[in-house]
Amino acid sequence: MFTRKRGTDDFAEEITAHIELEAEQLRRDGMSAEDAQRQARRKFGSVRAAQERFYLHNRWAWLDSLVRDLKFGFRGLLESPGFTITAILTLALGVGANTAVFSVMNSVMLRSLPVADANRVVYLRTTNPPHGTGTIDSTRTFSYAAYDALRGQTGAMSALIAFVPLSGSKVAVRYGTQPEEAEGDMVSGSFFSGLGVKLERGRGFTDQDEKDHAPIAVISYDYWTRRFARNPDVLGTTLYVNGIGLSIVGIGAKGFEGLEDAHSTDFWIPLQNRPELNAWGNPLENGKTYMGNPTWWCLQLIGRLSPGVTKSQAVAQLQPVYQQAAYIGLGTPPPGEQKPALSVVDAKGFPGYAEMYGRPLQLLMGMVGLVLLIALTNVVMLLVARNASRQREFSMKLALGAGRGDLLRQLLTEGFLVVSTGGLAAWVFAVYATGALGAWAQIESSLAPDGTVLRFTVCVLAVAVVLFGLAPLRIALSAGPTLVQKTSSAASASSRGSSHMGRMIVALQMTLCVVLLVGAGLLIRTLRNLENTPLGLKVDGLVVFGVNPQIKSLPQGREFYRELIEKMRGLPGVDSVTIMEERLGSGWSDNSAMLVDGKLPDVPDGGSRTVRSNVAGPDFFRTLGVPVLQGRDFRGSDTATTPMVGIINEEFARRFLPNQNPLGHTFGPENGMAKVTIVGVVKDHKYRSIDEDPIPMAWYMYAQIPVVSRMEVELRVQGDPLAVLPAARKAVQQIDPKLPLIRPMTQRAQFDTTISSQMLFARLAGFFGLLAVVLVATGLYGTLAYRVGNRTAEIGIRMAMGARRGQVLWMVLRDSLVLTAVGVAMGIPCAILMGRALASSLYGVKPLDGASFLLAVAGVAFVALAASAMPARHAASVEPLVALRAE
Amino acid sequence: MSTRESNDDRIALLQGTLDLLILKSLVFGPCHGQGIARAIQAQSEDTFLVEHGSLYVALQRLEEKKWIRAKWGVSENNRKARFYSLTEKGREQLVEKTGEWRRLTRAVGLILDASGPQSEEA
Repeated sequence: MFTRKRGTDDFAEEITAHIELEAEQLRRDGMSAEDAQRQARRKFGSVRAAQERFYLHNRWAWLDSLVRDLKFGFRGLLESPGFTITAILTLALGVGANTAVFSVMNSVMLRSLPVADANRVVYLRTTNPPHGTGTIDSTRTFSYAAYDALRGQTGAMSALIAFVPLSGSKVAVRYGTQPEEAEGDMVSGSFFSGLGVKLERGRGFTDQDEKDHAPIAVISYDYWTRRFARNPDVLGTTLYVNGIGLSIVGIGAKGFEGLEDAHSTDFWIPLQNRPELNAWGNPLENGKTYMGNPTWWCLQLIGRLSPGVTKSQAVAQLQPVYQQAAYIGLGTPPPGEQKPALSVVDAKGFPGYAEMYGRPLQLLMGMVGLVLLIALTNVVMLLVARNASRQREFSMKLALGAGRGDLLRQLLTEGFLVVSTGGLAAWVFAVYATGALGAWAQIESSLAPDGTVLRFTVCVLAVAVVLFGLAPLRIALSAGPTLVQKTSSAASASSRGSSHMGRMIVALQMTLCVVLLVGAGLLIRTLRNLENTPLGLKVDGLVVFGVNPQIKSLPQGREFYRELIEKMRGLPGVDSVTIMEERLGSGWSDNSAMLVDGKLPDVPDGGSRTVRSNVAGPDFFRTLGVPVLQGRDFRGSDTATTPMVGIINEEFARRFLPNQNPLGHTFGPENGMAKVTIVGVVKDHKYRSIDEDPIPMAWYMYAQIPVVSRMEVELRVQGDPLAVLPAARKAVQQIDPKLPLIRPMTQRAQFDTTISSQMLFARLAGFFGLLAVVLVATGLYGTLAYRVGNRTAEIGIRMAMGARRGQVLWMVLRDSLVLTAVGVAMGIPCAILMGRALASSLYGVKPLDGASFLLAVAGVAFVALAASAMPARHAASVEPLVALRAE
Repeated sequence: MSTRESNDDRIALLQGTLDLLILKSLVFGPCHGQGIARAIQAQSEDTFLVEHGSLYVALQRLEEKKWIRAKWGVSENNRKARFYSLTEKGREQLVEKTGEWRRLTRAVGLILDASGPQSEEA
């Protein structure tokens, strides 16, 4: 390798010399000079062929031996297809599961945004927002005034970008005549230029576009593909969003899905200032959009640090400006209020989801890592067993002159073949698995494995290759060239050491299996508990969809919904209809303190005064199937001209109106702007999510409050709830042909979205547990079968000496039971640690849940018995005479 | 007319064997390719025909394994030639391979010289 290669000229010279020498010899033997020369050439054969061979040899020697090794490896693997398939499948599942989970973790927590120089891009965060403000997220959203002040500071950040969705879910769009829904964001003019996101076609936005609130849009590459089949003519055409025409001027770069957590944004428009395109699709508050409203903190901010400026420098520079700007329009801060403090964090992953999924994902990564450990040790054991039975082959090779290096190369090649095939299968498996994971976790943006994930997988596989090559080598070498001279297979029984090692590995696998099964048991029971949690309403038969009509005036808006409810009632199969502002089970809620009977209620021990309020339509509780305990439901006859009425839940009454009849009392918002009389008390039920605790709740009647906007329509129907949707769509479009149904789904599915992370974890943990069981079973079976095979002679002798079949059976079973006992004994303390780590992800299950532990232990014991049954039967059926004669 | 030489008395060499013979012919000192070919042919009483092309491939292989090394020099009749000589490793290999070869030929010989199959008891 390190010596200089000979050149072809040098070789040609040697050949010439050879021919000369040969000719001279022939001349000395008495040939004529001419004949001698000819004879010498002829004798040498083709000079060119020799040169070619020389050249090729130099060039391809390594390739040649590689091809030979590969061929050999293939042949070896094909000779034992059982081993090969098991090893490849084991690897594919083990590595594939790891790749998939890592891929999700990478997307949610680690991956940088697909923007230029991503490590200079930061999200802005704040501590407590000022008193009297409403936020989307108390640490992540800012007011427009704060944004405007901060971006005036050019020193710290070369670009400061605000972005906010046009709706909490999807927004009504129209391209041509058909109403549709899509996800859209309003963004700063520097959005594309500041982030360094290229455009596939067309142009991005400018600061002037932001200033002018230009009616233009950039669509995402994905939306362009999905909706417009990558038609380049889409540029210059008009997209109507909530009825406002926007000219499409650009198409975003491939792979850029926007900045919304786990959502794939379909289009972006410059920040607007008009009621139809208010932030989050909210109605105007006191006639102001988010831009003029300093109390509504709804914008997320992202910035690019100026060259040479560190994060702390940037924060230090912006802090005073921010603390002043935070109070613009809010007056002086009340005494004692801590001023909000700005901070920045790296723009990585999905910040919102990282909170929700971060810890469970890390735990899952740990669990799937254990599965990988089981899988790798399994393949190692398989390889060891296989190579131990090939000791004679290796010994033969050593005797025939193969070097130890050659053997190592052969083993590494075989390992490489198994690993690369398994790795390829793992990758395919992972790509499909991440798709499924994304669907379960309700993540719309792509989770597909990327370069980082590929590097991770390749590292895992590289470790596997080395492990698989080296582990069996010891045995192969211990064979030595002399073993071949022994003819008896009894020779293999000498490998006591390696079988001891195998038993230790099996015990370790059992340990890991117990841990995984306990984890799976806890998480699955959590999911069961959540699924069986009474919601307090009759959820089956309910279907819900959103509508976002153009509302020109309060009476027109109220009339729209009255007409809509009327039309829906008339649909065949519909039992009852209602509307509400916040959809049940969507995770959203409107939380605030409330005045009860004109004052803030006294709560003992500084308890919370928070009330969740919602705006509802007539027949609200009847439609949902929530029992009205006292008083009545909302009625169609509760209108703007009748007294304002409200309904509360038991918890509200218990906490704020204890020991009295709540009917006739009043409640209203903290600012005292309205006061409604309580006409009903309903049973507590789930509102925002399945795992919430009861909280005081209050409902206003939509037709009586001074705001009307987007609503969720809830229908109770007979039969399949989704079957009513086409008719409902037709009815809605009879009122307004441009209105799409937004996110139509059954109410059950809507509630299920609130436990999507628990579903994901329970399903995954269950899958890992199952995988562990299968792997441990194959590993144990393989080890026992191999041991029994090696001990055939010994068993034969035992039986010849009078051992009964039952005793032999017991001998093998005892072997695996001892291993199981050791594994379980080690596994339980580890599982207790696991349970502790999972504690925060559990619902209604204790970390030391007896049933989960018992089931795990029983499961492992059962697997051990099942896996040893066949080898044990095989051992017991040994015919002593046959076994002895085989020697 | 074909120029290919056909000589049934000569035996084509197995690859491993040629290596062994080359090593052996270098025991007595450095030699060039043509000399090695001659020596093998002569010492085997013309039984082995060394195909010269293969010879050089074998030499190249042995050189790569560092069993032999080569140096340009001048032949007895003042011609420039590449001289091969045994390395320490090559010497070890020669001893080892010779031993293996002896065992192999002895075993094969024993089998071939055995006085017919031994009758087995039924």
